[in-house]
Amino acid sequence: MIRLVALRKSIARWHGRIRQHPRVTFVALIAAALLVAGWGLTRPGAWLGPQDLTWHRIQVNRDLYVGIDPSYPPFAEWAPEQIDGLEADLAREIARRLAVQPQILIMGFDGLYDSLYVGQVDMVISGLHVDPGRTDWVYYSRPYFDAGQILVSRTDAPVQTIRQLDGKTVAVELASAGDMAAQQWQRRLHALHVERFMLPDDAMQAVQTGEADAALVDTISARLYLKQREGLAMAARTTVPDGYVIAMRRQDYRLTSAVDRMLANIIADGTLDVIIARWL
Amino acid sequence: MPQALHTVRRYGGLAVRLLLIWFALEGPAPAPPRVILGPPQTVETLHPVLCTHTRLTDEVEEWKIQRTLSMVREMGAATIVEFFPWPYIEAQRGHYNWAFSDRIMRHAENQGLTVVARLGLVPAWARPPVVEKVTTLSYLPYDQFDSFAAFVGVFVARYSTQLGAVIIWNEPNLSGEWGNRPVDPEAYTDLLRLVYEAAHAANPSIVVLGGALAPTLEPEGSGSGLNDIRYLERMLEAGAGAYFDALAVHTYGFKNPPQADPEPNVINFRRVELLRAVMVRYGYSSKLVYITESGWSDDPRWTNAVRPGQRIAFTLDALRMAESWPWVKQVCLWDFRQPSDRQNRRDAYYALVSSDFYPKPIYEAVQAYARGWENPYQP
Repeated sequence: MIRLVALRKSIARWHGRIRQHPRVTFVALIAAALLVAGWGLTRPGAWLGPQDLTWHRIQVNRDLYVGIDPSYPPFAEWAPEQIDGLEADLAREIARRLAVQPQILIMGFDGLYDSLYVGQVDMVISGLHVDPGRTDWVYYSRPYFDAGQILVSRTDAPVQTIRQLDGKTVAVELASAGDMAAQQWQRRLHALHVERFMLPDDAMQAVQTGEADAALVDTISARLYLKQREGLAMAARTTVPDGYVIAMRRQDYRLTSAVDRMLANIIADGTLDVIIARWL
Repeated sequence: MPQALHTVRRYGGLAVRLLLIWFALEGPAPAPPRVILGPPQTVETLHPVLCTHTRLTDEVEEWKIQRTLSMVREMGAATIVEFFPWPYIEAQRGHYNWAFSDRIMRHAENQGLTVVARLGLVPAWARPPVVEKVTTLSYLPYDQFDSFAAFVGVFVARYSTQLGAVIIWNEPNLSGEWGNRPVDPEAYTDLLRLVYEAAHAANPSIVVLGGALAPTLEPEGSGSGLNDIRYLERMLEAGAGAYFDALAVHTYGFKNPPQADPEPNVINFRRVELLRAVMVRYGYSSKLVYITESGWSDDPRWTNAVRPGQRIAFTLDALRMAESWPWVKQVCLWDFRQPSDRQNRRDAYYALVSSDFYPKPIYEAVQAYARGWENPYQP
């Protein structure tokens, strides 16, 4: 009640001021309107705002240029006829959903960002990580694959988190990111025994033979190993994430939002899982 | 006079206020890090064969040069290979700017490191004008060989006490490193002769390293380059053996362990034995071999790379193997660190230390080997 009275008083005070200074009020209102209009008209895509010329070209030519470094099987490799792999399939799927023709341009890894910068390609799908130093001009999508370190355990004794390994043994690949993470967790838990192996496959084999309770290895090795063997399973989430993302130019706001939308659909309807399962 | 006083009073206050604002704004700006040489250091190592190729050529900040070289010392490597491009020092004919090389040499000396200087590239004045011919930085016209030799002589004279050796050119058996021209072992021999004479005139005890050939299988007539073994044979047939004191060799393992047998049609670590055999066959068995580039990459996305644990095991085995060869003087691991890991992925995964000075497991393993400590990355 008191607040309502205060509000009424405040309105009455402002009303008085407006009546007292009609010209000032008029100028202030016009200035505010101009500011709002200016803001609205200079938004991306508005009359005075920046235009997404890449999107315009894609709509006119019906093509989408994608930069890929084909030296990373099974994500991308140079087959005799075309570029094959998970990332090539993802590029083609995005293009199909945008109803455009994908044009995959192959290039060395160090040239990927330069090609994107100069407009040679519209997007890069090549196992990139988010690089905070480039976010002033690069727009990164959500991750399409997490290649991080993941726990692999026996299906009859599943392990989801590394905390569950307190007092147990974890097998890791020597000097890998999993090894580094296990060393950190050794300091956090009461007792975590770390067994090191030269290769990730050796670490997972140790879990199968009962030498270790779980292995902390990279997701790519884990998927390839589990494809051929039974009795082991991966945790639902990685312990040390390492997401691969699509890079686009930030100025191409229509393309980025369209790709984000398509990628969300591809993930939601299970197409991404199908593509990943095809290669890993 | 009163008018002048009035003006001073009027604008003097304003000037003082502006000065205060300037100080207030400038004050919070961080001062550049001070780089001062500490007391001279010495390298503690059980394995003097260990050396590493640093990448300080394009390092802008002096503290990074100092930090890099102190980490090299702490690792237990007593020798570094560093690249000193000719155009950086003699951008104008006869005018030398030593600031870049002095800075590196000063810090290397302070850390107790011996420097093997790799010399190469060509300043614009020594290349044909662009209107006449478009050339790359590695294009050294034959009529400028003596200019390069003169530069090497001046360089050796300046750093006579700090230099362990000088490497003459880099990978001349690749056309890209030979000015995008067909490779020419006989011309390289001419270059070696002129440089050898100039370097020894400046310092008779300097070690001139020839070769530094890229391990490649390119056949005769290839547009890309020439097989390193054949190139060395042609060099020696042209008389190069008299114009270098030791052979510089680049040998990489790629996916093979160091124990893999040497074969002429395979690139692996023991390819150095094939080059050594050529030297022996041509009567130069007394000349030592400096492995000025070697190593394994653990890049997860390169088909020629190995896993991180394999990299450690292969590198340590290679060092032990090379130590058992009496004809090997140094094994220089490519590369210690590079200014920016974002610009060159291939070399970033060869590096022992990240751009932000994070020591990788391979660094700690090599350090443990060199210092006689227990390997923290024992399988």
